[in-house]
Amino acid sequence: MSIMEYNGGSVVAMVGKDCVAIASDLRLGNQALGISSNFQKIFPVTDRIYVGLPGLATDLSTLRERFRFRVNMYTIKEEREIEPETFARLVSSTLYEHRFGPYFIEPVIAGLSKTPSGGVEPFIAATDLIGCLNFAKDFVVAGTASAKIFGVAEGLWEPNLEPEDLFETISQTLMNAVDRDAFSGWGCMVHVITKDRVITRTLKARMD
Amino acid sequence: MFLTRSEYDRGVNTFSPEGRLFQVEYAIEAIKLGSTTVGIRTQEGVVLGVEKRVQSPLLESSSIEKIMEIDTHLGCAMSGLTADARTMIDHARVTAQNHSFTYDERIKVESVTQAVCDLALRFGESVHDEEAMMSRPFGVALLIAGIDELGPQLYHTDPSGTFMRYDAKAIGSGSEAAQSELQDKWSKQMTLREAHILTLRVLKQVMEEKLDQHNVQLAQVTKAKGFEILDEAQLKEIIDEM
Amino acid sequence: MLDMHSVPQQQPQGRQFNPYTENGGTILAIAGADFSVIAGDTRQSEGYSIQTRYAPKVFRLTDKAVLAVNGFAADGNMFVKKVRQRLEWYRHAHAKDMPIRAIARLIQTMLYARRFFPYYVYNILGGIEEDGTGAVYSFDPVGSYERETCRAAGAAQSLVQPFLDNQIYFKNQTPAAGTSFPSHLPLSTVLSLVIDSFTSATERHIEVGDGLEMYVVLARESTALQGVEGIGGVQEITMTEEGHRVFVIRRELKKD
Repeated sequence: MSIMEYNGGSVVAMVGKDCVAIASDLRLGNQALGISSNFQKIFPVTDRIYVGLPGLATDLSTLRERFRFRVNMYTIKEEREIEPETFARLVSSTLYEHRFGPYFIEPVIAGLSKTPSGGVEPFIAATDLIGCLNFAKDFVVAGTASAKIFGVAEGLWEPNLEPEDLFETISQTLMNAVDRDAFSGWGCMVHVITKDRVITRTLKARMD
Repeated sequence: MFLTRSEYDRGVNTFSPEGRLFQVEYAIEAIKLGSTTVGIRTQEGVVLGVEKRVQSPLLESSSIEKIMEIDTHLGCAMSGLTADARTMIDHARVTAQNHSFTYDERIKVESVTQAVCDLALRFGESVHDEEAMMSRPFGVALLIAGIDELGPQLYHTDPSGTFMRYDAKAIGSGSEAAQSELQDKWSKQMTLREAHILTLRVLKQVMEEKLDQHNVQLAQVTKAKGFEILDEAQLKEIIDEM
Repeated sequence: MLDMHSVPQQQPQGRQFNPYTENGGTILAIAGADFSVIAGDTRQSEGYSIQTRYAPKVFRLTDKAVLAVNGFAADGNMFVKKVRQRLEWYRHAHAKDMPIRAIARLIQTMLYARRFFPYYVYNILGGIEEDGTGAVYSFDPVGSYERETCRAAGAAQSLVQPFLDNQIYFKNQTPAAGTSFPSHLPLSTVLSLVIDSFTSATERHIEVGDGLEMYVVLARESTALQGVEGIGGVQEITMTEEGHRVFVIRRELKKD
């Protein structure tokens, strides 16, 4: 029995043109037994940063609170909102603090960074359970369906997708991947982060 | 022909100096003592007909079984030592079932015929020092009827293990007269019903008793329904039409 | 006198010969209306070492059947040899080439015959059915089988299969109002999907790469070739004059 597969669940994030998307399934399981079909794994960090926390559900709750605490402390001390890359470093160091007794979570981060010229730049990152960062330029995946998501994403994703096209791409990628994974599925939730707003949609999916 | 008996009559696998296997030839003779059996091929299907000699009024004629099913698309009629045919038909049935088990398709008529003939030649064969499983040739000839991707076919096998395909064939005691009648009357375009009637006419000619639904048996193999033995009601209908 | 305690005690040691290896690679087959495409990469590896960059996993059996084998290469090659032998015997016994449906059943019986010492291979059989339609049959190592429209197997099955679900079966897609999805795709689309599948798998899986072999089996009088004249590296390997045609298309894949 693998602890990483105890509760199931998957997250993916993708880069688009001046936008990013992050999506997850909604299943919470106890090994093969489905417990909930409305279990969120993605949480807002700031208005422009979202973090997905697939892995062991109990560690998800703990980590979410730790990140909230540390981001709040950062905001108070620095008197400014945290940038996506800074948040990614925060996630990494938080996880590495527990190098020899880790949280069983592989976070995925998606956000828009501010550029010096006042514009925004898409940012995605993922880490393993001890905080090794992966700054990909296209997409990052994590969770029990990660191999499947990689396969579909590699076939569907292309550079510079507009928000609506990015939504379709990430939705199709995630849904078709989790349909082939027994531990993920039971509905999906997608967030597309643009300069002006965040579009959040819940997807109807196969419930088997 | 058989007046010059010699020591070459003994071993079933021994050739005579003239190059003959007497036991096999005698086996072929045994068939000529059997009841007459007829097979006719048409475009629609194949018809098999046999005479059932009811030797005693106390005999249940329905217990005489001279036409048997090999598979849903294969039937067989026999003449000669019918007990020997059981072994052959058993073998044919197993071969057919093994084929559909292994290949998920119906065995061809020629292939099942070949399998039966392979068995026919196994007399006198022994493994190491053991006794031979079959001590003599089969004393029976078969008409194997069936349908496969090559259409309706009729095969004749004899105790020598030879087989040949026929449009129409008669075997058994009345076979000579029956065969020449078939040669006269068979035509390429004949219908299945015409073949039924021709079969019965040919049997009627060579039978000593008056033909009725109790002393003959008809069977057919068609594409739609495969092998079926006609029941007495169907038989009577055809006899009335003759 | 010998001091027994100074002699090192002989401990019983358990040793077990492991007869199996996993040699990586991926295979894939897609059926069209009157054609079938069977593909496989050509990398053969053992652990992190590449043994060879060209070891075919896809084999022409007849002019209407092509078999792809993936898993333990030694078992795979021996299995293909045995299937070919049985095909030859069948041709002699029944005076015809074995239909693909019969080959599929034969493969099941051959695999199940080794239920307790299996051939460590996943098989995908592609070709043309007796009615002229494209067919794909997929097997597990002990002979459970099914006819399908498409199937991926091997190291990158988990990467490729959900992509195919989406692009071949149009899973999770809804047709525009008043339209419907095609049940079979044209050859040009199928070839593009196969190439995309393998380049994707090569990108993300270390055991996939080096070369790609795509076998195309065309039914008699198939017009599937129209629209793919531009494709390069095509070689016809048809053996008989019966009308079914077989082609192989070879392509390079990344070697890193």
